[in-house]
Amino acid sequence: MAKANPIRYESVNASPVKSFFVSMLTRDIKLEEAILDLLDNCVDGILRTKKRSGGKKPYAGFKAEIVFKKDSFMISDNCGGIPLSLHGYAFRMGRANDRPEDKPGTVGVYGIGMKRAIFKMGKDCLIWSKNAEHEYDVHITPEWIANEDEWELPVKASKKSMQEDGTTIVIGNLYPGIADLFSEDAKAFKTELERMVASHYAFIIDKGLEVRINNSLVKPRPTRLIFSKKPRGKKAPTIQPFIFRTKTDAGVDVFLAVGFTRPIPSQDEIADEQEEKRYSSIEAGWTVVCNDRAVLYCDRSELTGWGEAGVPRYHTQFIAISGIVEFRADDASKLPTTTTKRGIDASSRLYLQIKNKMREGMLIFTDYTNKWKGRADESKKHIEAGTPHSFEEIKAKADSLPFRATKSSIPKGEQYKPALPMPKKLESRKRRISFVKDIDEVKSVADYLFEDENIDASVVGEKCFDLVLREAKK
Amino acid sequence: MKHPPYPLRANKAVDRFMLIEAIRRLGGPSELAQYTYFGLGGPYLEEFRLLHESFPELKMVSLERDAQTFKRQRFHQPSGPIRLRHVDFKSFLARYDSGDKKSIFWLDYHELEYWQFGDLMSLLGKVSAGSLVKITLRSEPSDYIGRDKQDQGEKDNEFRAKFGAILPRADAAPPTELERFAGLLQEMVQIAAQKALPSGTGFVYQPISSFCYKDGDGIFTLTGIVCERSRLKSVRNRFSSWAFANLDWDGPTLIDVPFLSTKERLHLQKHLPCGQDAGRRLLRVLGYRVDVDRARAVAKMKQYADFYRYYPLFVRAIP
Repeated sequence: MAKANPIRYESVNASPVKSFFVSMLTRDIKLEEAILDLLDNCVDGILRTKKRSGGKKPYAGFKAEIVFKKDSFMISDNCGGIPLSLHGYAFRMGRANDRPEDKPGTVGVYGIGMKRAIFKMGKDCLIWSKNAEHEYDVHITPEWIANEDEWELPVKASKKSMQEDGTTIVIGNLYPGIADLFSEDAKAFKTELERMVASHYAFIIDKGLEVRINNSLVKPRPTRLIFSKKPRGKKAPTIQPFIFRTKTDAGVDVFLAVGFTRPIPSQDEIADEQEEKRYSSIEAGWTVVCNDRAVLYCDRSELTGWGEAGVPRYHTQFIAISGIVEFRADDASKLPTTTTKRGIDASSRLYLQIKNKMREGMLIFTDYTNKWKGRADESKKHIEAGTPHSFEEIKAKADSLPFRATKSSIPKGEQYKPALPMPKKLESRKRRISFVKDIDEVKSVADYLFEDENIDASVVGEKCFDLVLREAKK
Repeated sequence: MKHPPYPLRANKAVDRFMLIEAIRRLGGPSELAQYTYFGLGGPYLEEFRLLHESFPELKMVSLERDAQTFKRQRFHQPSGPIRLRHVDFKSFLARYDSGDKKSIFWLDYHELEYWQFGDLMSLLGKVSAGSLVKITLRSEPSDYIGRDKQDQGEKDNEFRAKFGAILPRADAAPPTELERFAGLLQEMVQIAAQKALPSGTGFVYQPISSFCYKDGDGIFTLTGIVCERSRLKSVRNRFSSWAFANLDWDGPTLIDVPFLSTKERLHLQKHLPCGQDAGRRLLRVLGYRVDVDRARAVAKMKQYADFYRYYPLFVRAIP
């Protein structure tokens, strides 16, 4: 039997579909995070400029302004603009391999942030940029978005002149849901966006960048750890943070500090917080900073070592414990971040190694909290003897601390382990008594003993014990 | 539990009448018969008595967590279909199911805590369209005035840590004056409401009225209605002609009725209502100032002209 002719298969089209970028990729990210991506571009712009000053305020003089309203969104900055050498890459969907190497410290790695933010909000966008002698604009129209075959974007010389080097992005033809957020829910959206900028950009704003949202200046929310001075010549234990620092072979600088931000809570505070949420924001937990951006803010999950390898799960009693870990690298791809730059790549080898140290540091402070449990008042005087220090201040202080090299453990580096005050052994003869009684019964007893039914329940309980003790001793 | 005597809370009494006025605009007896009022009425169940007198068709439920107050409520229970429940509001809220029936809620708090906004957000997400929700919060600027600069800084930070999630500006500090403090609380309520009912849900918490007053401690109160966004216009129309309506989240109206003798009130009432420039006119009618400061005396007369119909008359009675 003759062999049948083999079927010839045609090659298939594997080219990208524009709607994937416009409709699908935008679903992976919250609107607030997409806007933070635009702010990331502003900061990357600063890093490319030569005007950036050194010292404590390297971002001073640079501004980014966000204005949103029912029919438009605008972000405008004076952060250097998009260099003409990069403009051919800035508008590509994804990062091209032949893109020139970027300046050290920039975090743009994947080449999707700006486009994703634009497509998330609306169908019409005008981008103006001024960089040195180049001033141009790029218009993304609804027709261009709808045309699957058109991938070129016309670049035109700007008609208007910008005073400073920078970029302005105006997005119009907003999607209905976005327009509602910018009008009906404007107050709540602004509050949320401002909180995210204040926490994720705390370090950059603290270093001089000015960010305004609908004309109000965003104030940073930096974590400050208590640092007590040791009395000169004395080895007395004091409240100081645990610090670890290292530089990896891949060129990533790591600096980690964990400690107390406030006195440890009393039993009543813990009970109150659990029963009725008193605070809308708790600053406990870990903040992870990559090239000045906080990619994780006040995390209290296993991602940052809570509830793992001997560290207790986060509980309200640990409300006073905070930590900051900073990763800094010239090559942003070495940083342990996700594509959204607002999350940690939990499987990163570098991060897993550093997490060991985060847990080691945290244990010192969870142990202290447990040891002083029920004696918050006594512990308070140790913590109040110190003053809150910002991360930069702690880094400056670190140079005068006696660091010890950790050569045989992973990761290698050097660390400062504070000796915290511990309760005297004599006091371990004390025992805590706690019990639960019906609120009306507690009030009746309080009224009987103090003629005031609003007396604190713990005072009522203690008085009962003292009365019975007096009887027992007779 | 502290319950200041009612004769000393004239402004609160006016506020109660403002709620009556708002409910009146919800509809006639047949519409109101579909509503149930839920309140934290305190020992005297004062608003329940008033509500029953004004709207006998309204079903009412009192929620009280304190056993002693609950017993006093049973003692004071006025006539009318009031169901007294000895229950913690949080537990009630956890189990509350509107069953698509309309409700009127008054979250009458005497303190200012973040969880109260949580209660409001939770309630707004549960009530059916057409329900009225009134929230009353402590608005006392002196709670946040520090002894010195350091203490002030700590108090400001405590305020921000407590309410940061609903503050209109991350650096907002508690204002030192009643009306501005109440204005900030109103913005916080607005943000909480927008978070509870984002535009995507199709529902909105439309404000109807908001007031601040001080019978000893400062108080802020806002009444709003949960409605479908598509019906917003008709809902707003129902309240738009009311002199005390606040439909656009404008600043709260101050209630500060003057203490006047019965004789003074009867004398002034002959000239009311008196239209424009009421404060000055009533001052002339009275012939003397009820405050040493002329501007304040005029303001007090204006307050009387605005609220005289709702000003309670407390007289000595022999039981």
